Amino acid sequence: MSRSFLFIPGDVPRMIQQLEIFGADAIILDLEDSVSMTQKDEARHLVESFLRKHHYQNPLIYIRVNPIDSEEYTYDISTLQNLRIHGIVLPKASLKGIEKVAKDLPQCKIIALMETPEAFLEIAAIAKHKRVEGLLLGAEDLAQALNLERTEKSDEILYVRSQVVLTAKAFKKIAIDTPYTNLTSNEGLLEDAQKARQLGFDAKASIHPNHIDTIHQAFSPTKENIKRAKRIVAYAETHHTMRFSLDGKMVDKPIIEHAKAILDAAKRYRLD
Amino acid sequence: MKIYRSLDDLFESLPVVNGLSISFHHHLRNGDGVQNLILKKMNELNITKLKLYPSAIFPVHTEMLKLLQKGAIDAITTNYLNGSVAEYIAEHGLPNQLKMQTHGGRSRAIIEGETIIDIAFIAAPIVDEEGNAAGHDGPSACGSLGYAIEDSVYAKHTILITDHLVKKLEQPQIFSQHVEAILVVDSLGDRQGIVSGTTAITKDPVGLRIAANAAQLMDELGLIKEGMNFQSGAGGISLKVTEHLKNTLKARKLKAGFFSGGITQSHVNMLEDNLVNDLYDVQCFDLHAIQSLKKNPHHHAISAHDYANPANPKRVIKDLDVVILGATEIDLDFNVNVTTDSYNTIIGGSGGHSDTATDSRVSIIVTPLFKARTPIIKERVNTITTLGKNIDCLVTERGIAINPKRTDLLAKLSNTHLPIYTIETLLNKAYEYTGVPQSYDLKAQKIGVVEDRDGTIIDTLHTKKRR
Repeated sequence: MSRSFLFIPGDVPRMIQQLEIFGADAIILDLEDSVSMTQKDEARHLVESFLRKHHYQNPLIYIRVNPIDSEEYTYDISTLQNLRIHGIVLPKASLKGIEKVAKDLPQCKIIALMETPEAFLEIAAIAKHKRVEGLLLGAEDLAQALNLERTEKSDEILYVRSQVVLTAKAFKKIAIDTPYTNLTSNEGLLEDAQKARQLGFDAKASIHPNHIDTIHQAFSPTKENIKRAKRIVAYAETHHTMRFSLDGKMVDKPIIEHAKAILDAAKRYRLD
Repeated sequence: MKIYRSLDDLFESLPVVNGLSISFHHHLRNGDGVQNLILKKMNELNITKLKLYPSAIFPVHTEMLKLLQKGAIDAITTNYLNGSVAEYIAEHGLPNQLKMQTHGGRSRAIIEGETIIDIAFIAAPIVDEEGNAAGHDGPSACGSLGYAIEDSVYAKHTILITDHLVKKLEQPQIFSQHVEAILVVDSLGDRQGIVSGTTAITKDPVGLRIAANAAQLMDELGLIKEGMNFQSGAGGISLKVTEHLKNTLKARKLKAGFFSGGITQSHVNMLEDNLVNDLYDVQCFDLHAIQSLKKNPHHHAISAHDYANPANPKRVIKDLDVVILGATEIDLDFNVNVTTDSYNTIIGGSGGHSDTATDSRVSIIVTPLFKARTPIIKERVNTITTLGKNIDCLVTERGIAINPKRTDLLAKLSNTHLPIYTIETLLNKAYEYTGVPQSYDLKAQKIGVVEDRDGTIIDTLHTKKRR
């Protein structure tokens, strides 16, 4: 499972050609908000040319298309036919939009960008859709729609963050937190990412490559966790038991399963 | 001690004749007004067939260009050059030749008598009336005068030029017994060009990835340990590697032995944080380094001889565990070029590149795999600055190559998660993005040589062929 989703503007070749070295688990090549109207054609051409030549399994490649009711969306879909990408990020997600993308690009998974109040009214239906892989909270646009002032502590989005996590988990989908937009505070980023992790998010989106290492720090198992998980799994396997005491604490099946998940993640992220 | 207030009076006392060999140091870097002052006077006197031995040449050195255009300079031996002088020589050559030496090689050649200097004109930010000099104080303070020490001792005539004459100087780097006269001037040059301020640690995501890879490589090779000796340059990536090193030393409660070479604020901060025992400073790169040199007894100003002379068994760099260096080009045999670009324009030179790469237990090149649309790895470099046998590791944002001759390093990395490839594989990775560049032979007339630190000629320099 990806811990980080990095947005890269579709019209910046210098960044696109470096996408694999930023260390993100997933890249979202953006054709929407970070590309001005005059650059849309160029961005589509650039992204298409690059992805026809370069294929990636790691990082996973997603494309953020333009909203389904825009003319640009039609051009985006036409460009993306037969391109080897992992999925689509749909802005201003709605059930209608998800169904349209599912029909237009039958090979792609979809991440629903939850950034309108209306989307939250049908969040369960969106998450339940079989082609939807995850929910991504878009707090900046949502805050604007709700007339909320965004703050460093992000208390104002606690409810929608929790709603995204609960709904995504209810349908076994990925819960992805909104990007942290302050580019100067690494401490703030770490705090924000750790808070998202505590709330149950699986991953965090980012708008700057230099945020990736910190996001991974928050969303990866710690060395101590890995060490303890190894001991739990080793004890369970050696003694053929699913219930025992370790360091004075009870260990049972859910804890053993959790320890195995930590070891899987450690292996996947090369932390073992 | 003879103290002159007039350049004319000084020149009347000196044997200024055609064919004169003169030297300068480059501690005032792109703020140097002294070389211009002296060469302007040489021009006025119509001196010809000059042999110049500046330790480096910068864009500010425009009077040298005028002498070149006039045909008054016969030969130049230096460690580094860029700017209009470099461009002129790459285009026209010299009546005799351009010789590119290393910092350690320059010191060796002066001491062993291969380089004969008639007059050393030494810009000195602080001088006392007895003729002792240093660089750590005065309005034109530049820190260490490391590259001028051998000139002061071995030149037939040593002249100090200063804008800050004092009664008595404590802890001089240049001693009066070697000095013939002092010239007092209003200013040694442009303060802004002498110290460029604090060099910025890279924030470029590509640079950050390279630095992280280099730091991890150092760690997995077991180089980060108590008492380790380290050198890095003042480039943004090198500074980031130094920052990683600082964090690791701090986290593991380790202390390094020494840092050497050009000293920056990063190194000074680590000295003040008790993360390293000593700084051996042959050149200060910023104001923090100058201030530290002035006040911290563990911050030592050293000469080029103490730093890197290969004939000096006590040279500092002999004890380096790791050095971080850059590259303009590196080839499949790990030869590195920092002297010319792919158009055969002279853009730099070894400085201490070859010296430190040769002596350090592990030498690490940090560079992007490609810049714009040009791969940094070549099948053959345009000019060899440092021989491939002395380069151990190449670290890029897309992977790391280890010189196959270093089987010990490869063995240590056999179980690593680091992206280790052959250098050929890295070149092919670059080609995936840039295509295979068309090669041109841009070399015309031979104009000079690249001399390694022991005096061996390792490559030749040529004028640019017009395309």
